[in-house]
Amino acid sequence: MSQAGDNAGKGLRVLVQFCRADRRYEPLSALRVRYAIEGFADDHPRAVEHSVLWYTEGKGEEDLVVHFFERVTERSALPPAAASGTFATLLPPSPLSYEGVIVKVRWCVRVRVFFTGGRDFVSEYVFDVGRIPPARLPRGDDP
Amino acid sequence: MKLPRFFGKKRGHRRTGSQAWASFGEGLFHAVLLGAGVVFGGLLASGVAVPEWRINHDFPPTTCTVVAKGLERLAPAGSAAGGAVTWQPCLRVRYEAAGSRQESWTRPISAAPTTDRAAALTRLASWRLGETVPGWYDPADASHVVLERGYNWWMWLLALLLPGALLAFGGAGVARSVRRWGKSEERRAAPSRLSGLLHPLAGSPAQAPDHPGVPACDNHVNSPGTQLRYRLPIESPESWTLLGFGLFAVLWNAILILLVVGAGLDLLGGRTDWLLIGLLVPFACVGIGGIVVFLRGLVLATAVGTTQLEISAHPLHPGGAYDVLLAQGGSGLFTSLDVTLELEEQATFRQGTDTRTEKLVVWRQPVQSWRGLQLASGQRFEGRTVVSLPPTVMHSFASEHNYVRWSIVVRGAPARWPAFTRVFPVVVFPGTVGPGEPAAGHRTEATT
Repeated sequence: MSQAGDNAGKGLRVLVQFCRADRRYEPLSALRVRYAIEGFADDHPRAVEHSVLWYTEGKGEEDLVVHFFERVTERSALPPAAASGTFATLLPPSPLSYEGVIVKVRWCVRVRVFFTGGRDFVSEYVFDVGRIPPARLPRGDDP
Repeated sequence: MKLPRFFGKKRGHRRTGSQAWASFGEGLFHAVLLGAGVVFGGLLASGVAVPEWRINHDFPPTTCTVVAKGLERLAPAGSAAGGAVTWQPCLRVRYEAAGSRQESWTRPISAAPTTDRAAALTRLASWRLGETVPGWYDPADASHVVLERGYNWWMWLLALLLPGALLAFGGAGVARSVRRWGKSEERRAAPSRLSGLLHPLAGSPAQAPDHPGVPACDNHVNSPGTQLRYRLPIESPESWTLLGFGLFAVLWNAILILLVVGAGLDLLGGRTDWLLIGLLVPFACVGIGGIVVFLRGLVLATAVGTTQLEISAHPLHPGGAYDVLLAQGGSGLFTSLDVTLELEEQATFRQGTDTRTEKLVVWRQPVQSWRGLQLASGQRFEGRTVVSLPPTVMHSFASEHNYVRWSIVVRGAPARWPAFTRVFPVVVFPGTVGPGEPAAGHRTEATT
């Protein structure tokens, strides 16, 4: 399992483990993710949303499409009652991850934690679908 | 309590801002539209729809006798001397209403107010004193009587159209804002049963079945080829430019003709408007220039001859090889005729209040070149070649603001005419070589 963490909040940390170490997936393959939320003090999570999505990046406006989405609100499935959460989904055949010049397509897992105090905290972990090499400009076409 | 941020900031290529304020502003805008729709709808319903409906459903019939008639002079409010005065024929009728005899003035619907007093008098003369006509009186106010019933469909259409559009647009917007309020970006974007209903004008391009993010290719496989399976549609930016020049020339010269006719009538009437004539000279120059540019473009577009491209299979797959037939019409010497396979990225973004689109070719592969082609009139050049896709290339991609497009591009250089570029878009699906593609090696054939 590949492990990554995000502690951009005040002591808050979301640890994510992908089922593949290199976080590189083939289209139509299974994606399994385990995550743990640590470091929250008095403000307890009231809901957690985990999603698998792709978005565009680059010069154009961002387009975002959610492939998998789940909102967990049962107290028994949330910290501190449950130490971690898991989810799994089958990836679609497209689009593939793409590192273009002015258009990029990125796949990611997002874990968003909503606290009882009203604030929320989001963690994002990029992974690859497919094996498309980055685009390079043809000779003489450098912008 | 932390208030949402008003102002956004630039983060890399992306501009961030407050989702909360954006949702609030959008909701407020749609609420104003919805409110305007309710107010307009209420006014039009109470002023037009309800009275007309009551006349047709509630008013009991009676028989009216015309006892007097006259013209009502209607002057616009506040116009002492100027302003158009209209004339409305009116009849004073006597009738029985709920067991009592009534007498009152009424305006026949068919006798609309007119500025032509003679026409109003002629219309008034069609009723004779002592004549009996059918009528319908208001059971709530017996002094109110009408001589005609029916519906004014134009008024109903207007009454329903404007408030209906405001109610639908504003209501959908408010419902969308309420649905989105307080929800995360992912939750809002997650597909739901209401997505299609609340986003009827969403600008996402048509997508291939079972392949999210890949554009549909229905338009590429609906035209059979003469030798190969499909004839590819052409995407010629020059055609749109030509159409634009044509529309400009037509509209500009239509206005010019109107002005010339006006100036000519003035001259015939013995008046000379030098200012108008002075303006006509530059207007005419622009009009003639527009026609010349359009005709030149038309000649260039048609003189070179049509270009057709046929392909053995579609959609394309990475690693596949496809037979391609290029057919070029025209006559005379072509210095060169080149076929290339290109991958282009396209991004649409907002810059201030403008929406801009940037395109960039990020991959180009020469497929075939022909040099010194001599085309005879009435015949077309036909060249066959093979287009091969590398196994690890990006598939065609289409989302609302971003595209990755594949196309086969034909560039020609006729000896007597300017060079031309004709683009034939193709759709590349992800994955391995699909069924139906030839496992042919690279080969080239040409005939004229």
